Amino acid sequence: MSLNYIIAMLLFTLGIYCLLIKRNIVKMVIGLGVLTNGLHLFLISLGYREGGIAPILAGKMLENGATAEFAAAAVDPIPQALVLTSIVINVCTMALALSLAIYIYRHYGTLNPFKIRRLRG
Amino acid sequence: MIAHAPILAIVVPLFAGFLTPVVSIVAKRFGVERARDWFVMGAAILMLLIVASMAPAVWRGEVLVYKLGGWSPPWGIVLAVDGLNLLVALIIASVVSLIAIYSVVYMERDSGLEKYYTLLMLVTAGCMGVTLTGDVFNLFVFFEIMSISSYALVAFRRNWDSVEAGIKYMIIGSLGTSFILLSITLMYGLVGSLNIADLAGKIEAIKATQPLPMIVPLMLTLFVVGFGIKIAMVPLHAWLPDAYQAAPSAVSALLSGATTTVGVYAMLRVSYMLFGALAIGTMFIILGLVTMVVGGLMALTQRDLKRLLAYSSISQMGYILLGVGFGTAMGIQGGLFHLLNNAIYKVLLFMCAGAIVYRVGTSNLDELGGLGKNMPITATLFIVGALAISGVPPFNGFASKWTIYVAGMEAGQPICTAIAVVMSALTLAYFLKAINSMFLGQQPEHLREVREAPLPMLFPMLVLAVFCVVLGILPSLGMDLVRPAQGAVMNQLGYIGSVMGAG
Amino acid sequence: MMEFGPGFWGPIVATAVMLFGVGIAYLLLLASRKYIAPKPSSEKLKTYGCGEEVKSEEMHVDSEQFYSPIRRAFKPFYKYVQPEHSGVLSTYLLWVIAGLIIVLIAVMLALR
Repeated sequence: MSLNYIIAMLLFTLGIYCLLIKRNIVKMVIGLGVLTNGLHLFLISLGYREGGIAPILAGKMLENGATAEFAAAAVDPIPQALVLTSIVINVCTMALALSLAIYIYRHYGTLNPFKIRRLRG
Repeated sequence: MIAHAPILAIVVPLFAGFLTPVVSIVAKRFGVERARDWFVMGAAILMLLIVASMAPAVWRGEVLVYKLGGWSPPWGIVLAVDGLNLLVALIIASVVSLIAIYSVVYMERDSGLEKYYTLLMLVTAGCMGVTLTGDVFNLFVFFEIMSISSYALVAFRRNWDSVEAGIKYMIIGSLGTSFILLSITLMYGLVGSLNIADLAGKIEAIKATQPLPMIVPLMLTLFVVGFGIKIAMVPLHAWLPDAYQAAPSAVSALLSGATTTVGVYAMLRVSYMLFGALAIGTMFIILGLVTMVVGGLMALTQRDLKRLLAYSSISQMGYILLGVGFGTAMGIQGGLFHLLNNAIYKVLLFMCAGAIVYRVGTSNLDELGGLGKNMPITATLFIVGALAISGVPPFNGFASKWTIYVAGMEAGQPICTAIAVVMSALTLAYFLKAINSMFLGQQPEHLREVREAPLPMLFPMLVLAVFCVVLGILPSLGMDLVRPAQGAVMNQLGYIGSVMGAG
Repeated sequence: MMEFGPGFWGPIVATAVMLFGVGIAYLLLLASRKYIAPKPSSEKLKTYGCGEEVKSEEMHVDSEQFYSPIRRAFKPFYKYVQPEHSGVLSTYLLWVIAGLIIVLIAVMLALR
């Protein structure tokens, strides 16, 4: 189980490494994507339960007594809802960032952040 | 109070944002382009009325708790409005209404205006959502809505400087919000709840166990850094001068008035009320002093007017952090009053800068000069704003800065007061340089036919300048506005009781 | 009226006194014009440029060097901190990580 968490934190660190070291804005945006995917993996693994079932209520489970049994066996649904929201936000962010990168290439001719520094001081 | 007021204050700008393209298409079909502008102005003023209707109940001392969908906390999402929320919501609603009136004329030379108004309403909905919510993941989602819409607004004109500033703001801001998401994740894993009041109670219980688990300082740090990027605390302030310089002036005014205010609110709510950590006030004092000094000294050597105003914004944020960090009643009152004043005079100054850019075409101080004869009203309003921000009596900046100075002396830190007073003098210095370069002195040949700014642009500036003078002559009015907020910040148990008790 | 410790600040009284002072100064100015009416010749209004004709555009003070005495007084800041605002995005992200570490240490010390 802790393998999930270790890999999630590894992805997070790799994302930050990408943001700091790479000299290309598109690679930095990819790093941002890797970073958020690491966070999503971390969040989903939090809600996992060994041998659990998917948290979808079907007809037979709504009888007396069966609901409590279902709640004891199901995986936590809240982190899954949080991750869905976060994936959508992430898609929006990446779309905006990549379109800004296209405009930067049109104006500057390069995507190197060390050369995109006309605004300074 | 209007029924369902807290949720309406978020829903009105959100729906107005989504309906604006439709209204724009219909209006163009009938040939009445202005209908879209009137629609947005109407939505902003409606939102201001809804927020104002919540004021009497909250100022009487009760916490308005609105359960979404009828689910009670901690299983459902609640909107909880207490004194602090209401102060920030009033600031945001007023600032956005005035900017909506201002941008009708300022942005008329740009194309694609329906997208601008949509993004403006989305930023407002995001700000309102962060302010009024009582659930920490809801806060994150609305914070992202606000941030992403503001990234798009900064890069709105798609010139070389707008795009460069936009990408820098975007990458630094996204890193900040991913830190906030990591902290929410850790909090959910530790405690199992997402409601702010519920979390406050449970984290108090965890903090009482000795030794403190390492994860609690880590969570608080990630939150402080995430929100600190939005309010431009010092090592995290690098995106702000570029973004304010390159954005259209109405957007700079919106960013400085609304999003930084919301960032300070979120920081206060999470560190003082969720974690109950008044002990980190010392860190706020030190970082506030550094922010004040760095912002002020960098502003002394700027060539561009909007960049100078941006560094001045960073410096004023330092004052707010200093006031809030003292932790005493007077300190927090001073900090929150300065937050209110900062929204008023910063928006005024950016609107004046926008008026000059609209008429002359440049904001470079070396190319302006002698505009005092051509634009007398704009010059007077800019001078009012500059004197207010430097803390010259009888304007409102003096009242809030004096409260912070006295709070420093009473808390036994005269060094903080000394540094704050010196930076106040330097603030006056660089504003006098700006006034001299722009309005006084000899007038170059190519500026002889510059006319005064048009009336719809002058009206919001006049309203803000009147507020500057009124809050300066009657500071007790400002203190009465701020006292419920300060009481709410120090009353963590009351908040927890009201929100959980309503369920 | 704001009361602080041993002192107080009465904003309405102070504003009234300030406006009164401005009014007296303006009356003095008007009174002085009765004796000497200001009618400077065009030569007197122009700036002296050692005998040369100076155009209005060149009469502007350079905005970066305006405060060179203050820059000299705060020299360590302007030598080390100002060049760090170099405009490079990766440096700014490095500052964010440095800020994270500083805040982490400060919060751990405060929340012990």
